[in-house]
Amino acid sequence: MSQQPLVDSASGDDPATGLRAVHALRELADRLETLQVARARELGWSWQEVADALGVSRQAVHKKHGRRT
Amino acid sequence: MFERFAKQARAAVVGAEQIARDAGSRSVDTRHVLVALLDERGAAYEALRECGADAEAISARARAGVRAAGLDGDALAGLGIDLDAVRRHTDAIFGRGALERAGRAPRGHIPLSPDAKQALELALREAVRLRQKTIQEGHLLLGIVRGDGPGRELLVAAGLDTAALRAVVEAQTRAA
Repeated sequence: MSQQPLVDSASGDDPATGLRAVHALRELADRLETLQVARARELGWSWQEVADALGVSRQAVHKKHGRRT
Repeated sequence: MFERFAKQARAAVVGAEQIARDAGSRSVDTRHVLVALLDERGAAYEALRECGADAEAISARARAGVRAAGLDGDALAGLGIDLDAVRRHTDAIFGRGALERAGRAPRGHIPLSPDAKQALELALREAVRLRQKTIQEGHLLLGIVRGDGPGRELLVAAGLDTAALRAVVEAQTRAA
């Protein structure tokens, strides 16, 4: 992996670098979502409230994160 | 499809999923399969050694690859995201290691990655090509080598002679 700082990598010239950055960001976002949704549910948020905060449907959130609390 | 797998080969695929589960991986790729195959110290392990490859080193590298395939700190740094800082934050709020745990597949079953699926397909084709009734460890190894994916990259980087491997597997599976 390159030592050179990859500034603007997601909007950079080389798709390989850019896509790698997108993939990394998506993976991080997924994990943070998992943690935050679980916490919201622990604090008593409804699926609808979680969905609204994420800007997606209740069904989508329940399908992705359901079957835990 | 798994009905055609010989016992050891099937055990390797099952073992690969367990390795993925333990590592918190989101999918089972050809690295996990490689680790599981070599852990068995069976036909695949022997085949690699017989064509002069360092099976131990390959296994170690595959395991390291599995561990490292989590969050890509370099790529995130390029976007101005300090992954260590994010991790300190999540550790503080959600407990230590929360960010790693969050990477695990939410339900029990961990899906096969495209390269792993391809390797299984190619393994089947190898068995058919060699006119063998069951898919064995050697065929799985050839399937990994013939396809694309991190498992193949690892084997190539280790200097594996794929022609030699094919010859060894052919002899091995014919004798089985």
